[in-house]
Amino acid sequence: MEKLREYWVPKVLGEMERVIVGMQDPDMGVKMRNQRLLITVIPHAMTGSDIVEWLIQKFSISEEESLHLGNLIVKHGYIYPLKDPQCLVLRADDSPYRFQTPYFWMSTKWPAAELDYAIYLAKKNIRKQGDLIEHEKDYYNQLHKKINHTWDFVVMQAREQLRAAKQRRKGDRIVIECQEQAYWLVNRPPPGVLNVMEQGPERGNCYTTRVQMTKNMDFYKREIEYCKKAMGRTRVKSSICLEAYLKFNDQYMPHDPIMSGCLPSNPWITDDTDYWSMNAPTVTTPTKLRVERWAFNFGELLGDPLGHIQFMEFLKKEFSAENLSFWEACEDLRYGEQSKIAESVDSVYQQFLAPGATRWVNIDSKTMEKTLEGIRRPHRYVMDDAQMHIYMLMKKDSYPRFLKSDMYKTLLAEAVIPPETKKRVFPFMRKQRHSSPSPALLLPSEQDPKGEDKNKALASAAGGGEG
Amino acid sequence: MAKEECKALLDALNRVTACYRHMVLSVGGTADSQNLREELKQTRQKAHDLAVANRNKLTAALKDKNVSKEDKAEFERLWVIFSTCLEILETDMKRALELGLEFPLNVPKKHLIQTGMSGGTAGVAARAMSVQNMKYEAERNIDEVDLKDLEQEIHKVGEMMYEMEMKVNVPQWTVEAKQDPGAELKSTTSAGASSGGFVSIEERKGFCDISKLLAAIVFSAVLILAVILAVCVVKLS
Repeated sequence: MEKLREYWVPKVLGEMERVIVGMQDPDMGVKMRNQRLLITVIPHAMTGSDIVEWLIQKFSISEEESLHLGNLIVKHGYIYPLKDPQCLVLRADDSPYRFQTPYFWMSTKWPAAELDYAIYLAKKNIRKQGDLIEHEKDYYNQLHKKINHTWDFVVMQAREQLRAAKQRRKGDRIVIECQEQAYWLVNRPPPGVLNVMEQGPERGNCYTTRVQMTKNMDFYKREIEYCKKAMGRTRVKSSICLEAYLKFNDQYMPHDPIMSGCLPSNPWITDDTDYWSMNAPTVTTPTKLRVERWAFNFGELLGDPLGHIQFMEFLKKEFSAENLSFWEACEDLRYGEQSKIAESVDSVYQQFLAPGATRWVNIDSKTMEKTLEGIRRPHRYVMDDAQMHIYMLMKKDSYPRFLKSDMYKTLLAEAVIPPETKKRVFPFMRKQRHSSPSPALLLPSEQDPKGEDKNKALASAAGGGEG
Repeated sequence: MAKEECKALLDALNRVTACYRHMVLSVGGTADSQNLREELKQTRQKAHDLAVANRNKLTAALKDKNVSKEDKAEFERLWVIFSTCLEILETDMKRALELGLEFPLNVPKKHLIQTGMSGGTAGVAARAMSVQNMKYEAERNIDEVDLKDLEQEIHKVGEMMYEMEMKVNVPQWTVEAKQDPGAELKSTTSAGASSGGFVSIEERKGFCDISKLLAAIVFSAVLILAVILAVCVVKLS
């Protein structure tokens, strides 16, 4: 795609340059006026509205399009504003503009060099007696480090360029300064401003077209294979799919903190971290929503650490805890360290599968045979079949009983619904409902008063939480 | 001393480079003219001569085995400054060539860009050539004729830079700048209009040195008159 970029950018810039040259025509070009400063008069200024008018007439386009085109020209630095130089926008009123000299035209052959920018900043430094803008100061220091070896040259050249400029008329000096400023505003825009010279991410689709496969027998065989496999894929009717999707959303919507809000309050907004502490993985009293979620499906129950523990308790009462332990051991095997696999497999076998094991799990004979075969050459996934069998057993058998059990019902009854943060009557006791300032903005000198405010807020929050 | 001579030569090259760049700025604009192109040609030739002189002196100094360590470091620093100066000169020459090709002066078709510059660059050229006034001796179509010479000279400079890199072994990154950031704010003791007396160019305030001087003279005259009158009054009463 490099080729395309090298082709496109100069082409567009070339078009703009043609437009600019067209504007210079003494008969058919843009109307020129004089710019009057206090004592000096500088020629060749034009108003924004004149430019827009000319574009409309020359290309027979609408005002909107002409404004857009003019804006592009200004943003690429071919015309610069005189009144408000930082704002590279074409205004269709009487704000003055001027053409940029061809030396400073946007050219990809000689992109703006760091050395030139360093010289410009040094010159500006001298002229403004050290009063550079923030981001220019940063660039300056950066460049001093980067091109330190030629920094002496930068200073020398900056001084000489200023002395050379003194040989020109006052008006010309002002014009040259404005030109340089405009050039660097386009090539080194201040932070936050769009950089027109930046290209977006390249579209990489060219690579597929580059590889030209010869259409021989192999190619077609592969195509046929691929199509056969594609036909054999399972498909679900979209009506069924969408029904399931709707059901899922209906079920989960009350639980979604963004869609249905979260109690007591959203920590990102109110800075009150109660929500997180109440929903921590291991907490003595879970919230009601959380307990309700365990009833959705088995995966939810096992996935929640608290639910997992409760389920284990339940199974212990039913004397089938070894199922869950076996499942846990298999998970450890699957996701564990490669070096410990043989050891793991062996311990699982000894604990759960060997005849007469202490915690023997009930697997059907077929799966057991297969697993025992696999154990001879242990790898990460030998226990998969057995694990799946036990999982389905728990899901179909123990899980529904858990949901109907007294244990679950008491859990549900005891679960808390966190109260919503009350709005205090007295304003100074109200919890801060806006986000706290970024720590990066807190300067050391200001920290104490801000710290006091924060302390106040925390105190009222603590008071509010208990109240 | 070799060091002072080298420094002086380098300052001269630096001055000519700055002036050259200043003149290339005007190419293609309304301040462009046959005179400007001739000025560019003359300045360029002067720059070339200075560059060759610099190169010879510095290579001799760097090859000299009897140079002390500090002197050697100083020469290396000057070498780095010299090569950067040549880089800038080469870029400006290339730009001048491109702009010269795009904006031929004798062809009436292409209009010059109205950049707002109305004065000439004679003063800058005079500064570069170290003369009082510039003499223009070339023909009327120097803008076209000169371009071929310019191309050749760009090649020459390119070759010179290549030779320099190959023959002289000065690693650029070992050179440390003498100046700290902000050094340019301190006014220099060396020649020329220093930055201290520089007029701040802002569009609102338009002070002129002459008018300031005039105002000061008038004010002091009035003050002296007032003092004299007061003395007279005191003496007479």
